[in-house]
Amino acid sequence: MALVVLRRLAQLIFVLLVVTLLAFWMINLLPGDPAMQILGYGGDEAALAQVRAELGLNDPFWSRYADWLGGVVTGDLGTSYISSIPVAESLADRLPVTIELLVLSQVISLGLAIPAGLAAARRAGGLLDRVLTTTSFGLLSTPVFVSGVVLIMVFAVRWPLLPATGYTPFTTDPVENLRSLLLPSLTLAAGQLAVYARLLRSDLIATLQEDYITLARARGLSPRRILWRHALRPSAISLVTVIGLNLGALIGGAVIIEMLFGLPGVGRLIVDSIFARDYLVVQGGVLLVAVGYVVVNFAIDLLYGLLDPRIRHAS
Amino acid sequence: MIHVTTRRRLRRAIPALSLTTCAILLAACSGGGSGSSNPTAPGGKAVPGGRLIYGLAADADGFNPNKDSFAAQTYAMAGTVIEALTAIDASGNWRPNLAESFKPAEKYTQWTIKIRKGITFSTGEPLDAEVVKANLDAQKASPLTAAVLAPLRGIEVLDPHTVQVHLTTPWVGFPATLAAQVGMIIPKSSLADPAKASRQPVGTGPFVFRSYTPDNRFVVAKNPKYWRKGLPYLDQIEFRILPDNQTRAQTLEAGGLTAMATLRDTDIVKFGKLADQGGYRMYRVAGMSVPEFAFMLNTAVAPLDDLRVRRALAHATDRQAFIKTLRSGLTKAADGPWSPDSKWYVPGGYPAYDLNQAKALVGEYEGEKGPIRIELLSVPDPTSMQNAELAQDMWRKAGMDVTIRQADQPDLIQRALTGNFSATNWTQFIAPDPDGEYSWLHSRFAAPVGGLSINMPRLKDPQLSAALDAGRGNPDEAARKRAYATVQQRLRDQLPFLWIDHLTTSAVITKPQVRGLDQYTLPDGSMGKALSGTPTHRFDQIWISR
Repeated sequence: MALVVLRRLAQLIFVLLVVTLLAFWMINLLPGDPAMQILGYGGDEAALAQVRAELGLNDPFWSRYADWLGGVVTGDLGTSYISSIPVAESLADRLPVTIELLVLSQVISLGLAIPAGLAAARRAGGLLDRVLTTTSFGLLSTPVFVSGVVLIMVFAVRWPLLPATGYTPFTTDPVENLRSLLLPSLTLAAGQLAVYARLLRSDLIATLQEDYITLARARGLSPRRILWRHALRPSAISLVTVIGLNLGALIGGAVIIEMLFGLPGVGRLIVDSIFARDYLVVQGGVLLVAVGYVVVNFAIDLLYGLLDPRIRHAS
Repeated sequence: MIHVTTRRRLRRAIPALSLTTCAILLAACSGGGSGSSNPTAPGGKAVPGGRLIYGLAADADGFNPNKDSFAAQTYAMAGTVIEALTAIDASGNWRPNLAESFKPAEKYTQWTIKIRKGITFSTGEPLDAEVVKANLDAQKASPLTAAVLAPLRGIEVLDPHTVQVHLTTPWVGFPATLAAQVGMIIPKSSLADPAKASRQPVGTGPFVFRSYTPDNRFVVAKNPKYWRKGLPYLDQIEFRILPDNQTRAQTLEAGGLTAMATLRDTDIVKFGKLADQGGYRMYRVAGMSVPEFAFMLNTAVAPLDDLRVRRALAHATDRQAFIKTLRSGLTKAADGPWSPDSKWYVPGGYPAYDLNQAKALVGEYEGEKGPIRIELLSVPDPTSMQNAELAQDMWRKAGMDVTIRQADQPDLIQRALTGNFSATNWTQFIAPDPDGEYSWLHSRFAAPVGGLSINMPRLKDPQLSAALDAGRGNPDEAARKRAYATVQQRLRDQLPFLWIDHLTTSAVITKPQVRGLDQYTLPDGSMGKALSGTPTHRFDQIWISR
């Protein structure tokens, strides 16, 4: 186990170096000057030179990257060019919003997708399966900016049960916090639950063809017990893999949801910073997403062993 | 502000104007005021108390006037806490605010500013001449605002409540400039800690800062020690940052907001109908502070360095088609930077839509110099692209080869300032006084292509510049009107901009119980300017009807 962790740690460092270097290189390729962005249309040559010098923008690419990397090693991610807020502080402020959104959306989508997938697989081709398949396609083909607006219209405007937009921190008011995240989480969950349900259904159907399931049926086990106890776990490998990839992607990628619902999440911070050429915030965000990806997928790898003993024994 | 629509764009855009735009106004008016508010607020008897939840499309970069670019949303939020030395009245003239009076001397190269006595910051620090000098010195030293205060030579403290400002050139409208960011006064403790001042604004204003969560909300509470007795009326204001136009409007409908700012014609149409039925109140910008939408042309590069091509473009551009198809018919066609309802406006002389005339000019030019190829820059949001595509279609019909190049805001800023463009979408000109546009149009600020040029069309027109100088240095209103009539005439002759419309779709929509937004008094008793720009307004005399 310790060896696995060490190997993963080495991979993590390598991935982070490559990803942050590429991100730094790519954002430097973008046209537009952060100093001009800060000054807007009102600066002159002297002001521009002053701001560029203050930000260290005249230094060579490698020197700036090395400076940033040196800071990261000592726990300093730098300070935003635009807002002057330390990058680590910005990310720490945004991360709880993103994590809450991710957790709640996964709970909702899995809470609905697992029963739906089981029900559909139990009688594949039946009426319920066809209804669930059609619903899944409907959810999959609806963009989040449409489903979000519709959910707001229904649950905030037509029946004012939930706030339409905005975010209340958990520490301020836990109930209001949950209410403020329910609609965005539902919007985010809608597309995911369709994917999860479809994936689980197809894997379950394959698993239900296995010999050990036939044996279980022959031994007189109930269909419910067979499904929940013997078929679900080995059928969840693909589902868990996709959840891992989803979580990694959503750490910085739930930006549309964050914009729609006015949530101050990590995705919105990164996208805004790209448009503002706020290099250090982008770098910090990329680092966070990369760490998130690696950590989540490491956890998923560990989970494989729990789900399927054959994998555990093989490793 | 400059470039329309998405929140990031707004965030970066408005500062440009905000800095320079604080126009130059008529000199003469100065004087004191009682410092107390009108006991009977416009629109009925004001009721103290209540909370306003106000939706904004974008967040601020920071709230330190010496360090951060102030856009419309920054003025909304920080303006509740930090006050300026002057304010703009309903006629667009400057009035004393934190200052008690301004007295010009030496042909407007020297101004003596008397500061009101007895005002303190919410930290308890006194407002005095030393603080005002320290703020103006900091503004002069800041790369962000140094260009605006370029004529400022020095500041002298005459007594604890008087400073004297020395300028390098006559500047009639200097006090008007102090109504915006460069005139906003923060205490010495904030000057000493600029990073903290960026996030926790402190001022003398009607409200005191309570909390700020970036990209989420900014909360202020009533300042019980505010120097204008009886103000403000509201107990609390919560600004919510909601970047999506659709969901911001839905939040207002759902009751999550009591007011919101918008630039969308669809909001004007929808809430306008509801306002007619009493469901909402709507306030739209008017007069000099209305932004104009135009296409800015680079007059320093071929083929747009040839006036015939610029005239061909003007003749080929059907302004009514823009208004009908992209503004729901809500705006009026523009023929210059100032609205017809402004006292500075003079009509006439702008090329009419005439496709045949455009084709003839194109043929004449191409016969001499070859095909006309124009690259039109646009930020990649849908609204801006619709404007660009409509223009492309019109200009192609006149026989010109027009391509659209998408550029995000930082790229566009760089291209515009360094002259690396032919034509671009443009929204600007919200100064309440025409002198506010001085730097954008004067040939002194036009650098060769490659250099940094605030005069972005790079038009060097001696008559235009002379008229701008006359408007800046002469206190006589009739003389100024003549000067700015010449400015408008030269802009119509030389066409550095193809004017499209006055964007009166900039508005604030509120629930019906929100009152006093458009009518308020300044410390000297005069009525203040209602909405301006994209849009901004004051909050100290807003009240909630019960």
